[in-house]
Amino acid sequence: MDFELPKEDDPRRLEVRAWFAARPRPTGRQLAEAGYATPHWPKPWGLEADAELQLIIDEEMKRAGVTAPNLINPVAVNNCAQSLLTQGTDAQRERFLTPAIAGEEIWCMLFSEPAGGSDLGALRTTARREGDHYVVNGQKIWTSLAHKAKVGVLVARTDPEAPKHAGLSQFLIDMDTPGITVRPIIDLSGHENEYNEVFFEDVIVPADRLVGQEGEGWAISMRQLQTERVALSKPGAIWGAGPSARELIAGLDKVGALDDPLVRDEAAAIYIEGEILRLLAYRSLSDRMNAKAPGPEGAVRKMLAAPHGQRVVDLAKRAQGPRGMMVGEQAFPPTPGRKGAYDDWDYAFWFSPAVTLGVGTQEILKNVVGERMLGMPRELDPSAKVPWNQGQAARRGEQAA
Amino acid sequence: MNFSISDDHQMLKDSAQVFLNQQISLKPLLSPGATVRDAGYAANWAKIAEMGWPGLLIPEEYGGAGLSCIDLVMIVEELGRTLTPSPFLGTLLGTLAVMKGGDATLKTRILPKVAVGEIALALAAAEEGGREDGSDRTQATERGGAWRLTGRKAFVIDAAEAQMLVVTARAGDRGARRLFLVDAKQAGVEVAIEPWRDITRQICTVTLTGAEAELLSEGGDDLWPWVRDRALLALSAENAAGLRHVLDVTADYARQRVAFGRPIGAFQAIKHALADMLGQAECARTATLYAAWALSQEDPRARLAAAMAKAYSADAYVEAAHRSIQIFGAIGFTWEMPNHLYLKRARGNAELFGASREHRSRVIDLARAELAA
Repeated sequence: MDFELPKEDDPRRLEVRAWFAARPRPTGRQLAEAGYATPHWPKPWGLEADAELQLIIDEEMKRAGVTAPNLINPVAVNNCAQSLLTQGTDAQRERFLTPAIAGEEIWCMLFSEPAGGSDLGALRTTARREGDHYVVNGQKIWTSLAHKAKVGVLVARTDPEAPKHAGLSQFLIDMDTPGITVRPIIDLSGHENEYNEVFFEDVIVPADRLVGQEGEGWAISMRQLQTERVALSKPGAIWGAGPSARELIAGLDKVGALDDPLVRDEAAAIYIEGEILRLLAYRSLSDRMNAKAPGPEGAVRKMLAAPHGQRVVDLAKRAQGPRGMMVGEQAFPPTPGRKGAYDDWDYAFWFSPAVTLGVGTQEILKNVVGERMLGMPRELDPSAKVPWNQGQAARRGEQAA
Repeated sequence: MNFSISDDHQMLKDSAQVFLNQQISLKPLLSPGATVRDAGYAANWAKIAEMGWPGLLIPEEYGGAGLSCIDLVMIVEELGRTLTPSPFLGTLLGTLAVMKGGDATLKTRILPKVAVGEIALALAAAEEGGREDGSDRTQATERGGAWRLTGRKAFVIDAAEAQMLVVTARAGDRGARRLFLVDAKQAGVEVAIEPWRDITRQICTVTLTGAEAELLSEGGDDLWPWVRDRALLALSAENAAGLRHVLDVTADYARQRVAFGRPIGAFQAIKHALADMLGQAECARTATLYAAWALSQEDPRARLAAAMAKAYSADAYVEAAHRSIQIFGAIGFTWEMPNHLYLKRARGNAELFGASREHRSRVIDLARAELAA
C-alpha cells in the first residue's frame, strides 16, 4: 500500500506536459485522438491508462488551463458512452464515440420523469416498435444539457406487459428529431437553466439506435448511474467540481474568519472530510485501474461527497454575513485560473441543494448502501413484480376510489 | 500509487484476527463490578508477547521485528476490534519514546527486554486536565549529571503493569519538554489505578517524588511530536476498527431483530443510520491508513495526517457506538451487553492524547502552512 502520487519529474508527466506545451489550445478532437479525453478506455479511444496516468493527465490538463472533456460532455464521457464499448454495435461505436468524447456532440440523459425520479423503474414514456423504427411518446424532466445536446440517451418502456424494470430499453436519439420539445426549468438559483423538461410526441427513432437488447434498459442505466457516482466523488463541492475544502480554508484565512474558534473548528472538520474524500476518490481510480466494475462503493462516496460539498459552500456563505444574501456577492475571490460555473462561490451555494437530489437522492443512496453493502432488507415495492400495465390500472383504480 | 492493502499486510491482520478471536473473551467484563483485571489483562499480555507483538516496531538489531507503522496498524486494528485488555498500548508508547529518544546504550539495555515481553513500559505525558501538549508542571532537576523528577502525571495508560515509565517533564521554569526514563519500582514512584470507565483499559495516576530518572537525550525538539503522532495513529487504528466492529454487530442485529413484522433494518430510520455508520467507517479507516503510510515514510504531511486521523476517527467512533446502543434498543443499554464497552473505549480514546478540537486546531495551522507554501 502506498499513497505516493506521481512526482513532478515523473517521465509520463513530462510527456503529457510536453504534449500540452506543443498544443496550447487543443481542440476536443485532438484531445480525443491523443486518448486524453477518456484515458482509461481501450484503444483507439483511450490509452488503457492506469490510475496514475489518469491522475497525471487530469492534473496536466488543469495546469494547461484546458477544460476537461468530462466537464464539457459529462453525460457521454462519465456515464453513457462507455456502454457502447460493451453493449453497442460496431456501427454505433463508429457513429457516436469519437464525436462524443471530442465534445463535438453533447449528450444528455433522458432518464427521470415526473412519475419516475427516485423510482426510475416507474417511468411511463413508451417506445413502440413499428417495423424498422420505434415511436416514442412521453415526457422527461430534470434533464441537464438537453438544450445543448445533439444526442439523447433515452430510457423508455418497450414492453408494458413486463414488470416495471424488465420492460425498459435504452436508445440513442437525435435531439433534433421532429416531435421533441425542450423547455427550460429555472431552478431556485435563478441562474441560466441547468435543467429542462423534454416532451416526446410521436418521435421516430430508427431501430438501430437501440442500445443492447430490448429489456436491458434498466441494467444498462443502473451501470451508467453507478459510473457517475464514482465520477462525481471528487473533492469539489458541486458534482466534484467547483471550490474544494482547501479553497475554503484559504478563503476563510484571507478574510480573517479562522480567528473565530467556532469557525476554525468547523472549518477544520470540513477540511478533514475533504482530504479523506480526496483519498477515497483516488481509491476509486485505483479500483477502475483494476478493471473492477463500478459497484455500490460509488454510492457510499457520493453519499459522503454531496453533503460535504454543501457544508463547504455553506460555511463560506455564512462567513459573509448579511452581504451573502446579495445577488452575486462572492464569499472569496474566485481561485485564479478557475472559470467553471461552479467556481463562482455564490452560485455554488445557491445551486448546492441539487447535489443531494441529482443522480440518486441522498435517501435513495442510503437505501442502496444499506441494502447492497450491509444486507438490509429491500424496500417494499408492491409494483415491482406485476406487469407494468396492470400496476398502472390498479393505481388508477385506487385514485378513483 | 496503490491504495490497496498488500497481501503481506492482510496476512498479518488475518493471523492477528484468528489469534485474538481464539484467545480474547470480554465475557468476564459483562458482570457489573468487573474491572480491567477480570478480562485477563496480565494473562493476555503473556500471549501477546509470545506472538512477538511488543517487538513489532523495534529494530532487528535490538531484538525486534523492525516493521513499519502500516504493520502496526494491522495489529492494533485487531486489538481495537476485540478491545483486548492488555498493556500493549502503554508498552508501545513507551517503546516509541525509547526508540527515538534513547542513545544506543539505553536502547541496548531496554529494547531487547521489551521485544521478548520481559518488561512492559508506559508513557506518562498528561497531567491533571489531560492536555498532552500543555505545559508539564512536573519538574526535572539535575545534579552532577543525575536527574530527579517531582510531580504528578495523570491518565497514564498501563502504568501499574510497567516496570519502566517514560515521563515528560520540564527542566527549569521555561525549559522545553523533555522525556525521561524512570524505574517504576523505585521508592519515589507511586502508581494508583484509577476508576476509569473503560474497563478494557488500565489508566493510572503516577506520583513522582524526587524519582531517579535518565534523560532520553536523542531526537531533539522533535522527540515529543514524533512520539505523539504515533500515539495518535495507534488510537486512530483502535477507533477505526472498533467503529467497523460496532457497525458489523449492529447490522447483524438489525437484520435479525423483528418488529412490526419486518427485520428492523428494513426501516429507513435504521437502514440510513447504518449507511451513515458505513460512511464513517470507510472514512476513519482511510484516514488511518493514510496516516500510517505517511508516518512510515516520514512524509511531510505525516503530522497533518495523524492529527486528521485522530480527530475524525475519535468523533466518528463515539457517534457510532452511541448509535449502536440506540439501534439495539433498551437491551443495548444494559451492562450485560458489550455495546457499552465500545462506547466507553470510544469516549476514552476521544480524550486521550488530546481532544478532537485540539487536533482540529492544529490541522488548521498545518493546512494553512501547506496552502501558503
